[in-house]
Amino acid sequence: MDTFSFLIDGFALAIQPANLIYAAIGVLIGTAVGVLPGIGPALTVALLLPVTFKLDPGGSIIMFAGIYYGGMYGGSTTAILLNTPGESASVVTALEGNKMARAGRGGPALATAAIGSFVAALIATAGLAVLAPYLVKIAVKFGPWDYFGLMLIAFVTVSATFGSSPLRGLTSLAFGLWLGLMGIDQLTGQARLTFGVPELLDGVEVTTLAVGLFAIGEAFFVASRHLYKPEKPIPVKGSIWMTREDWKRSWKPWLRGTIIGFPIGALPAGGAEIPTFLSYTIERKLSKNPEEFGHGAIEGVAGPEAANNASAAGTLVPLLTLGLPTSATAAVMLAGFQQYNIQPGPLLFTQHADLVWGLVASLFIANVMLLVLNLPLVGMWVKLLKIPLPWLYAGILVFASMGTIAANPSVTELLLLTGFGVVGFVMRRYDYPIAPAVVGLILGPLADSALRRSLQMSLGDPMILLQHPSSAIMIGIAVVALVAPFVFRGLSKFRQDED
Amino acid sequence: MRNYFKLGLLAAVVGGTLGFGTLQASSQDLELTIMAPAGAGGGWDSASRSMQEAMMASGNAKSVQVINVPGAGGTVGLAQFIGSAKGNPSQLLVAGITLVGASISNQSPVDLTQVTPIARLTGDPLVIVVPKDSPIKSMDDLLATIKKDVATTIWVGGSAGGADHILAALVTKAAGADPSKINYVAYSGGGESLAAMLGGQATAGVSGYGEWEGQIKSGDLRALAISYPEPIEGIEAKPLKGQGLDIELVNWRGIFAGPGVEGADLDALKSAVEKTVKSAEWQAILKTRGWTDYYAPSNEFKAFIGSETERVKTILTSIGLAN
Amino acid sequence: MTQKTLHIPNRPTAVIAVVLFAIAFITYWDASHMKVRATYGMSASAASYFVALLFVALAIGHLISAFKPSDIEVEAADWMAVGWIGFALAGLIGSIWLGGGFILGSTLLFALTARAFGRKALLVDLCLGAVIGVLVFLLFNKLLTLALPQGPLERLF
Repeated sequence: MDTFSFLIDGFALAIQPANLIYAAIGVLIGTAVGVLPGIGPALTVALLLPVTFKLDPGGSIIMFAGIYYGGMYGGSTTAILLNTPGESASVVTALEGNKMARAGRGGPALATAAIGSFVAALIATAGLAVLAPYLVKIAVKFGPWDYFGLMLIAFVTVSATFGSSPLRGLTSLAFGLWLGLMGIDQLTGQARLTFGVPELLDGVEVTTLAVGLFAIGEAFFVASRHLYKPEKPIPVKGSIWMTREDWKRSWKPWLRGTIIGFPIGALPAGGAEIPTFLSYTIERKLSKNPEEFGHGAIEGVAGPEAANNASAAGTLVPLLTLGLPTSATAAVMLAGFQQYNIQPGPLLFTQHADLVWGLVASLFIANVMLLVLNLPLVGMWVKLLKIPLPWLYAGILVFASMGTIAANPSVTELLLLTGFGVVGFVMRRYDYPIAPAVVGLILGPLADSALRRSLQMSLGDPMILLQHPSSAIMIGIAVVALVAPFVFRGLSKFRQDED
Repeated sequence: MRNYFKLGLLAAVVGGTLGFGTLQASSQDLELTIMAPAGAGGGWDSASRSMQEAMMASGNAKSVQVINVPGAGGTVGLAQFIGSAKGNPSQLLVAGITLVGASISNQSPVDLTQVTPIARLTGDPLVIVVPKDSPIKSMDDLLATIKKDVATTIWVGGSAGGADHILAALVTKAAGADPSKINYVAYSGGGESLAAMLGGQATAGVSGYGEWEGQIKSGDLRALAISYPEPIEGIEAKPLKGQGLDIELVNWRGIFAGPGVEGADLDALKSAVEKTVKSAEWQAILKTRGWTDYYAPSNEFKAFIGSETERVKTILTSIGLAN
Repeated sequence: MTQKTLHIPNRPTAVIAVVLFAIAFITYWDASHMKVRATYGMSASAASYFVALLFVALAIGHLISAFKPSDIEVEAADWMAVGWIGFALAGLIGSIWLGGGFILGSTLLFALTARAFGRKALLVDLCLGAVIGVLVFLLFNKLLTLALPQGPLERLF
């Protein structure tokens, strides 16, 4: 049987009324739990996994796909409306999305996120079906040196999120790098900056930092200004739907985000965050109105959201073909498969082809269901902002701390969360950008171990980074991206002087 | 190991025919809490949840709750357990060899000799592999390669100081090379190191057999040996012991009670766990999860913990991770 | 640093510069005490030294800009409100630390945060917070079997 007829069979299974209902329930509860600040898709899926065990394998996988997409969409909803990303991959979404919401354009922001996620997931799932076996061959060839090159590119692009002052942006990034040092070093087992506290040996959770800086810091900041500059309930101006102009500005970022997200997601250590940074930077560079960035540019929501969802489909490539979970969510999905005695791996495509295509079809269906259910709900989500401020922020704090407790019930973790909240407040007050700190915490340890693994394999010879053409090219791109703006600025200044 | 399985089936059948009425009243009333000193989804967590399922389904406990206390290879959870479960017969802990290593390399004040062993439950073999087009065809080839140049023999596996690292060090030592000179590249788990193996960036790799089973069966990786002392049905690779190397290392997991739990309380726990392990429910779980039965009762397990702690300490010292 | 004769137009930046120097020093100190060395390539301390150096550079940058007039406008802050939120978070942490449980903790967190935003109806907020706490607890503990910290209130369910 060929791919196509398997896919038809998969759809025949997925489209049965009972399964459609499972998909709808999955999407609904996934969104409902994922929308809580501090609870990202991984935790959502982990929490709801037991619910699916009660169904037959087919129904369960479909519901599972629904929960997964629902959880991801729920995470971006809070990032946009409340500036409290529930996971690291929606940090970038909060940058422009929340500005849009504050300008009364929360509806279009949510809509472009939902439709962008839909488009990206649709294309990426198709890519998964067709390209997975080939893509994975390239992905495993990616050595530590190549990862280091990719990290360098990602680091350079972070500067797009720096805001008005490079000094303050770099300081924020350095703070993230510093936090990234904390804990046991994976390569040697050496503890760094743990000060004898055993709870710090595992390092700082990215979620704790993101929720602390964004949600708790925001609450501190808004409260501190409340007396003098009371925040008015945000008005919903104009239509909650996307205008023709919005569509025109969104479709290209959706496609570009997908193209960036899917292959990086397919890398065994690619993750969902790097594509969102890259997409944001590219949209900013390509935009006809770059001055809108930082004040609510729709491209800055459309691109990263598409990249995020495409990379999520990308992580299924190593999961299904190698049995290799490359994200927390994928690890939970693996546990879900194993519950049914299905071991993802090189034999899955040959031994359980029906199941793979059933899953692909379920992803399609869940994706459609997400759009069908959530677009009408945009209006309801936007109304969240009408809750009186005291209760809104009180609720955010309760759910944010609950998310932290749920992931790790320790007082140390809560103290860290509060500490990051205070830092987030100080950073907001003195105009330090927040996102680079989160980026530093994610990229720092990855770059550190990629570089040191390379040097360990080459017995300390740094030339290994340039001997492999792929890593040499990526390092070259990073250097050009770093130097070029200065050169161009110098040139234009020079010309101005001549005038 | 096969015998345990048969014994378990037998016990289940006998238990089944005798009916539920003969079960001891005391064990039916047990209300237990099992701590998994790791986050949800990992090996200790799934072992704890499987134990929970089996104890309740086989009627050896009335209710069982699982709590997760992640952190520092399990030492955070262990420290909390030693404090809260002292003399408390309703609290149990699931842990394994990684915790032995973590206690030593983190210089933790707590270790597994401070709690009361109830039973050793499972023991999964580790596997040593090479890429499929590697010139290394056998353990002897690998040993020769190591002896020739220990620095360019690149090993990949799980985190530094874990069971994978220990096995690689033992093999290096057996090859006659200095284990402190081993070039072991640590990855966060069997997943990322698998990519490094398939990408041909390493000479040899170590992981739990189950994690790489798919690639071994599909021929993408060549398994040279397993670390289990005896051959295992369904696994082609032979034990290291059968290939002239006196190395045995099993990724075991066991269940413990708090310090100072003794007398009738301890006996009740021991018998509840023993009956659970021999129940059909537990054997079915082992089968679906692909775990290998490695049951040992309390006394034997206690001696085992002592010897394992000494052994791991010696190896970690030789590779410079403990002093 | 803050000698009377020295006029620093941008005091917060100067304070941040001092903090950055302190972090750089701590990081350097920590790295110089690391015992485990990598056999091949770079040790774990390399990244620490790099970050310490970066912090020194940033601290110098801050110090320089501290002598320039500030380019950002810092708004007046309502420190009472900030204090209330701090108090609210302390209520949650204290409740969990001392075994008061999740519901009590989140009730305090909710009511005190609402107080920070100027609400005076503390009793209403306490009730509302308790209702939310109970609902969340029931949802997560009973339905999804996720162990939230238990106190006397939680044991009633």
